[in-house]
Amino acid sequence: MRRSGRVAAALAVAVALAACGEGDTIQNAGDRPEPTTAPTPAPTVPGTMPATVPGSAPGSVPGSEPVGSAPSGSDPATTPAPTVPPVTVAPSTTQPTLLDTLPPCPVDALDDVDGTVEITFWHGMAANLEQELAVLTDRYNASQSKVRVELQNQGGYEQVIDKYLQSGQSSRPELAQAPEYAVQEFRDTEAFVPVEACFEGAGFDRQALLPAARNAYSTEGVQWSMPFNLSNPVLFYNRATFAAAGLDPDTPPRSLEELEQASRQIVESGAASYGLVVDTNFDSGGGWYIEQWFAKAGEFYSDNENGRSAPATRVMFDGPTGVDLLTYLQNLVANAGGFNVGDNASGQDAFLKIADQNAPGAMTIGTSAALGTVLAAVDAGIAPGIVREDIGIGPMPGPNGSGIVVVGGASIWISADKGDAETAAAWDYVQFLASAEVQSEWASVTGYVPIRQDAAEVEPLATTYAEDPRFKVAYDSLIETPDEPTAVGPLLGPQRAIRVLTSRALATVLGGGDPATALAEAAAQANTLLAQYNSTR
Amino acid sequence: MAIRGPRRVREALLALLFLGPSAVVLGLFVIYPLGRTVLLGAKRCNAQGENCRTNGLRQYTDVAQSREFRHALWVTIKFALLTVPAGIALGLGLAVLADRHLRGIGFFRAVFSSTVATSVAVASLMWLFLLQPARGILANTGWIQDLMPVVKNPGLLNDSGTALLSVALSSVWANLGFTFIVVTAGLQSIPRELHESAYVDGASPWRRFTNVTVPMLSPTLLFVGIVLTSRAFQAYGEIDLLTEGGPVPQDSTTTLTYLIYGETSIVRNDAGLQSSVAVLLFFVMLVLAAVQLRGLKSRIHYGQ
Amino acid sequence: MASDAAALPVIGGGPAMRSGAVGIDSVRPGWRKVGRYVVLAFVAFLVLFPIYTTLLASLKPGGKVIDRPLVPTDLTLQVFKDAWTEGRLGRYLLNSTVVAVVVTAAQLTTSVLSAYAFALLRFPLKGFFFVLFLATLLVPLEATLVVNRRTIDTWGWLNSYQGLALPFLATAFGTFLLRQVFLQIPKELREAAQMDGLGHLGFLREVALPLVRPTLGALALFSFLSAWNQYLWPNLITTDEDMHTVQTGLRLLNSNVPDIERYNVPIAGTVIAALPIALVLIIFQRQLVRGLTAGAVKG
Repeated sequence: MRRSGRVAAALAVAVALAACGEGDTIQNAGDRPEPTTAPTPAPTVPGTMPATVPGSAPGSVPGSEPVGSAPSGSDPATTPAPTVPPVTVAPSTTQPTLLDTLPPCPVDALDDVDGTVEITFWHGMAANLEQELAVLTDRYNASQSKVRVELQNQGGYEQVIDKYLQSGQSSRPELAQAPEYAVQEFRDTEAFVPVEACFEGAGFDRQALLPAARNAYSTEGVQWSMPFNLSNPVLFYNRATFAAAGLDPDTPPRSLEELEQASRQIVESGAASYGLVVDTNFDSGGGWYIEQWFAKAGEFYSDNENGRSAPATRVMFDGPTGVDLLTYLQNLVANAGGFNVGDNASGQDAFLKIADQNAPGAMTIGTSAALGTVLAAVDAGIAPGIVREDIGIGPMPGPNGSGIVVVGGASIWISADKGDAETAAAWDYVQFLASAEVQSEWASVTGYVPIRQDAAEVEPLATTYAEDPRFKVAYDSLIETPDEPTAVGPLLGPQRAIRVLTSRALATVLGGGDPATALAEAAAQANTLLAQYNSTR
Repeated sequence: MAIRGPRRVREALLALLFLGPSAVVLGLFVIYPLGRTVLLGAKRCNAQGENCRTNGLRQYTDVAQSREFRHALWVTIKFALLTVPAGIALGLGLAVLADRHLRGIGFFRAVFSSTVATSVAVASLMWLFLLQPARGILANTGWIQDLMPVVKNPGLLNDSGTALLSVALSSVWANLGFTFIVVTAGLQSIPRELHESAYVDGASPWRRFTNVTVPMLSPTLLFVGIVLTSRAFQAYGEIDLLTEGGPVPQDSTTTLTYLIYGETSIVRNDAGLQSSVAVLLFFVMLVLAAVQLRGLKSRIHYGQ
Repeated sequence: MASDAAALPVIGGGPAMRSGAVGIDSVRPGWRKVGRYVVLAFVAFLVLFPIYTTLLASLKPGGKVIDRPLVPTDLTLQVFKDAWTEGRLGRYLLNSTVVAVVVTAAQLTTSVLSAYAFALLRFPLKGFFFVLFLATLLVPLEATLVVNRRTIDTWGWLNSYQGLALPFLATAFGTFLLRQVFLQIPKELREAAQMDGLGHLGFLREVALPLVRPTLGALALFSFLSAWNQYLWPNLITTDEDMHTVQTGLRLLNSNVPDIERYNVPIAGTVIAALPIALVLIIFQRQLVRGLTAGAVKG
């Protein structure tokens, strides 16, 4: 037994070494402390701006006017009225704009081609979304003979991003679908033709796109990709439970106070075991929603105008807004009938909690893209006792009851260095997907929000919205969102990793931790990530 | 009798021919990548592996001392401690249990071997199905909470105390078939005379087990132990499918491989750091192999 | 199997024997027999439980699975059909089979050759190469994946059978396993063959190979299983939906989890994916055990 004793001792020592001590974070490995100053921003754009500079909107093209009217009266946000005077963000006229330095888009190259140009599109659409995309793509392929698009499902957005980044240029597809948090990363690969380069030659009217949509995919004054499938968070609630609790099912809570009040009332009246169901996933409660709430509060999430005028160098979510937000959530779960489902890796746990037979919740915040799925599930009997009509949809509650939403979902990117015909072919397909008719059908079938207003006015979407106004809630939120810097949402290089950090902070807080400390830690790590990212751009 | 001259040369050339294919494949796809990864592990890069700056050896020591690495190492060691002894014991126990001439023993042997047909993806999905929060039968139903009140509502996979255990359970189950088959083979190769002479000497079944069976099985058990340990240290698919690194913020199931490739890993954006961790993993496994082979070598019986 | 065991020690000294002698081995009739059956049945139940629930979940519509997951009612084959078509499992099974067969054949060939060289040939730097081979067993897959991907990408072999198989065409594990067995061949056989005028190649073909056939069988099975179960590598190099293997195809099917009420479709997919292997193993179970006992030389 002696030898095994020695082995055990060695293992114990190794284990002890591994477990104790306060090492530094792995993010600092190899580097020696000099002040990690982020490189100065790109020369065509003015330096770091202070927060909320009224009157400048870096995401919009000079000369544009915001589409849609001012937000509804229930928005006493601190930012001024959204009718922004056209401001040219570009500096002195002697310097070429950023767009001039980027790969061009030869939209007419298809005219010279005899045969069929074959291009590939890597996407991350699942199940019925993939089906509809296939239907649209088949229709496109059949409608003309110059371009043939082949769809390749990579199994999710992360797979698309990873594989794109790891591939050599020749193995890359002509088109890739990437989510809203990958914009900075994709932009930095310098492997794409910005779609804006195609607008002029093709006569594409960018004003037709909803400002929130096009701004989400713009930075440094250039629109990089074409929004395709948009979603934003909405409030899902059980109307029957509301009625039983004495709440008006037609007036869901809008402000944070109302939300807390409703949650409390539901529990106290016994209509359900829990009020609001929250989760800490980085793609929802712990990450994406926090960005939303900052936009609603009219606050910047990171510097450099949320990373839109120049790449962000530090985050600002550890300020008072963030602390208040997390304190609010902590209180909601601890005292006001809230319930934390945790990681929610499947994305369905919060909904299933509402359908729970033993201890159901009454409401949750979920992505608008899930509405179709939820209704189908209810119809299939997954939630005994709940029928289709019981599902209520309201705008996402937030600070000041603001109706601002940050766009989520994904957009389509066109690869550069692919040959003129291929690039033109890619643009042709993108233009098809961005047309009013296609967007109308896409939104109607999938539950995504259309990227343009005229799509909601044509069939089949017009009928869908008329018949079931629940599908229109997310769209209305998007229409109401003004063209302001804080309303566009943050753009960060390692955005997903930073969302993971905020989700950790939220998980700690909901487990009883102190919000200020948790956020400070998360911010410190996020800033290190940003510094590292910027140093290797 | 020494062979010299042309014969020797011919033999050497033949050896070149015979070794060639293996050497080329292994050199190109194992040795060469390892070398490049070692080099890359001393740099900090972006996600594409470009725009690197070289930091040298200190990056390795920094990574080894960093808290994320230590935590992942600790989780990996815990995972191995959970799966390897249990795996060996269960395989041995079942093999001994089924090592009898009973009617229908073939059926039981087939059942115990069955899990070898499951790959990591298959086994993990099966257990995900059982353990999924809100829908899994074994996830967070009332009776589990009655037994273990510490399991709070999120369920076994979402509770930082039980997440690693659950993943370990699925791993042990998946490896059971392999262990059972190998140990059974080992049992069957123990010469009958040994058992019979012990029996004749009046040894009880337990004494026969400890004095004959286990020593004669020691090479087999060592082999099984090495395989299970190496699988435990490289576990990825189970975690990817079941917990994605474990409930945050405790990261209860972030093992070393998940730290390298996982979707929620903090080093996703840096190809240099990923390489550092990978090389350190190699190092850890080297140490492990040395410990296992040397520490237990004396206890193996070779042949008669 | 790059990181599985190093040299496999000789298991047992004599010829392989199967358990089954009477006397000390047969169980006394009565309580002990019943007791043993009870324990066997209990353990079998535990082992089979996940398989049972999986099978049942594949045979019921999704809503019913949530309702009553353990009772075999409301059976239907629709879920399997859905998994087959949506998961494109036919194509993926083909891909997996092609790759596994190619890898197995290649590993057998390269291992036999290099094992023979290590066991029976003399050449300079033998020790050095031996250690090098040993080292490759310890290198975890993770340390080589990204560079290998880049190599395959440069050759334009992403999304191809070659790309899927290439890194695994040789294995040090097989080399060591066969080397052990070759080493057991008595010198007299070799000398007799020399006198008959057989060179190394002839000896290999006529004498050595037939002797190690059981071990070859075991190695073939391990290689096949290992290639079939590859997860990380196919995941990395496949972007074309046609070229997934069964394992990554399952992942694709699972991440595209259909509407909530059809969440059991991926589970049905796992059953389909596991079936071929299960069949192969049941059929070749005997060979596997025989090969592992490595009693290659009789008498």
